[in-house]
Amino acid sequence: MTDQVAAKQLMDPASRDKEKRKKARKNFWTAMLFMLPAIAIIGFFLFYPMFKTLYFSFFVVNSRGDTISFAGLSNYLYLWESSTFRTSMKATFLFALYTVPTTILVSLFLAVITNEKVRGIPFFRVAFSSTLGVSVAAGATIWLILLHPSVGVFNNLLAGIGFDRIGWLTSSTWALISVSITTIWMNLGFNFIILLGGLQNISEELYESARVDGAGYWTQLFKITIPLLSPTLFFVSVVTIINSFQSFGQVDILTGGGPNNSTNLIVYSIYREAFESGFFGTASAQAMILFALVLILTIIQFKFVEKKVHYQ
Amino acid sequence: MKKLFSLAVLVILSVFLLAACGDDDPEVEMTDDGKRLVTFWHAMGGGPGEAIDEMVNSYNESQDEIYVDAVYQGSYEELLNQLRAVGGTSEAPSIVQVYEVGTQYMSESGFIEPLQTFIDGDDDFSVDNLEENILGYYQLDGDLYSMPFNTSNAIMFYNKDMFREAGLDPEQPPRTFSEVQEYSQQLNDATGEAGFAILIYGWFFEQLLANQGGLYLNNDNGRSAVADEALINGEEGQRIFEWLNEMNEAGTLGNFGRQWDDIRTAFAAENVAMYLDSTAATRGNVEGADFEVGTAFLPVPDGMDPQGVIVGGGSLWMTNGIAEETQEAAFDFIKYTADPEVQAVWAGATGYFPISPEAYNNEILQDIYEEYPQFTTSVDQLQNTTLTPATQGALMGVFPEARNIVENAIEALYQGEDSQELLDQAAADIEEQIERYNQQQGN
Repeated sequence: MTDQVAAKQLMDPASRDKEKRKKARKNFWTAMLFMLPAIAIIGFFLFYPMFKTLYFSFFVVNSRGDTISFAGLSNYLYLWESSTFRTSMKATFLFALYTVPTTILVSLFLAVITNEKVRGIPFFRVAFSSTLGVSVAAGATIWLILLHPSVGVFNNLLAGIGFDRIGWLTSSTWALISVSITTIWMNLGFNFIILLGGLQNISEELYESARVDGAGYWTQLFKITIPLLSPTLFFVSVVTIINSFQSFGQVDILTGGGPNNSTNLIVYSIYREAFESGFFGTASAQAMILFALVLILTIIQFKFVEKKVHYQ
Repeated sequence: MKKLFSLAVLVILSVFLLAACGDDDPEVEMTDDGKRLVTFWHAMGGGPGEAIDEMVNSYNESQDEIYVDAVYQGSYEELLNQLRAVGGTSEAPSIVQVYEVGTQYMSESGFIEPLQTFIDGDDDFSVDNLEENILGYYQLDGDLYSMPFNTSNAIMFYNKDMFREAGLDPEQPPRTFSEVQEYSQQLNDATGEAGFAILIYGWFFEQLLANQGGLYLNNDNGRSAVADEALINGEEGQRIFEWLNEMNEAGTLGNFGRQWDDIRTAFAAENVAMYLDSTAATRGNVEGADFEVGTAFLPVPDGMDPQGVIVGGGSLWMTNGIAEETQEAAFDFIKYTADPEVQAVWAGATGYFPISPEAYNNEILQDIYEEYPQFTTSVDQLQNTTLTPATQGALMGVFPEARNIVENAIEALYQGEDSQELLDQAAADIEEQIERYNQQQGN
């Protein structure tokens, strides 16, 4: 034993480094072996499709997924010049603008009022988070019935009190708003639960000492609650933005991208281009643009917004 | 431990690999009781869907070698999307119902076996028994690639009770564009509801165009050579758009979106007095309404004779990835669907019209036509059709996209945009889609 240690100590620095590297290499491969199942699954279902999409975006691809010819950047150029794509980008940004702030504000409001210790509050907590249990398809169908052009509940109410019917889903000016309202309703449950969880984590002692110092409700809200909730708010905003860029089901069920492409959000546009029209090349290019967009937005959020987040 | 681990990884990987390739020789699929299994995808919901189930049941009971399994796949568009995913493999169904405008696409898809091969090899079956106007649509260079199954055209449905309320003669439906406009105004004044509406679906535009003898595409609607130019922005298309625009501005036109069910609900709820629909809705409309329903021919611009309509609906295609014996079984069922008696029952249950003229002599159908005189409008309209390239209908591989483009243009028109600009833009967009499709086909 001691001989060996002595021998090691006697070794020159170069061979000691070599030994270290060898060990590191061995560690690396052992680690890889343990991660292999995860890597295999993620690679197969995530990275492979992603690289294939990138690859397709530079080719003319037929509807069976065979590449026909190299297209260079022409798929991207086609999108650049396409008025349909511009309309759908515009709709996507407007949709994010309509849904993200509203969802967060409304669910924050609901979370704050249900964070009070009042009798019967669990009922409201369950009620406000219930949309989490509704699937996109079911939720959108409920709204489809409410917004129906001739027998919908909303239009019947309007007609009942003497107003004109509104083309909730059939008018280009209203359709995006209708889809947004549906989306806000559907996302409330998730955001509400996360925000409520965040609120419950804030220590009661802080409020007690604030009250002793004479802080009112609003001061407590803005000086304690919001700052301490900021990590949760940040998380919720990142997730909500990504979700809003990836909305699909409600568009498919409510409007099918219409009227006149006013609700043709980017993911729906990709779906239509690829699976209805069979143009996988341009659809892949759109998917890459969406990927880049979400990546950039998320980086921006982490770089700039996260600085304002207060971690305990 | 290490060995076990790599073994597990190996298994996972090989499962993936197997899933990725597979598909060698197709096997004849059998049911548990030893019948050849034929899978049949269709796009008929509601009443027509039930009629298909009945047809399939009576076929299954009529013999004991073949079992047909009918599966509803959603709308025509949805069915085609599903098919694209499995087309050409043994996963594909044996028979698929594809709408008329998918004809060109299907014939070039590489998923299908032209039916003509089976018809040629069968002495009992002759295409001469089929309606000429229907064959006119589905024959490509004289060959029948698919079997016409449900054929329809567009007709006008109107609410006779609302006509009476507005002081109009319920037996004199409007026949021209300007009559429709006047009637809509009167109906709107009297009832406060929309006078007229069309479903925002490209098919109705195609029908109104053909009824004026207008072509959709150059090269005889793409029938004498592959089309590369869209002609929808000519005067015929312009007339349709102007007509819709004027009614929209007058506030007498209803907009019930793109969903078939929505406009039918609106009609049943008396939110619109006249509207265009497929003949397939006849039975449902007549039976579902609390008022008297009338049917009328498709309107034409003033001073013009109607040229007739394009055969709409769908046809049955046989796929090519399946075993030969399954194909033979599938052909047997396809022949069954074309039988005059089966067609008579089908036509009576739906409002589609039979593909073989012989079916009209069938008692079942005659009784129904007597009970529901509304059915005969579409039959008359079809038989009054002169077979020209315009009424044969257009052929192109990008029809679903073309329809979407026209639908967008109509929606923009309803928002007050200029009709000529919209049509020019739509024509240019369709040409661009054709060019992209050709590029993709390697033409």
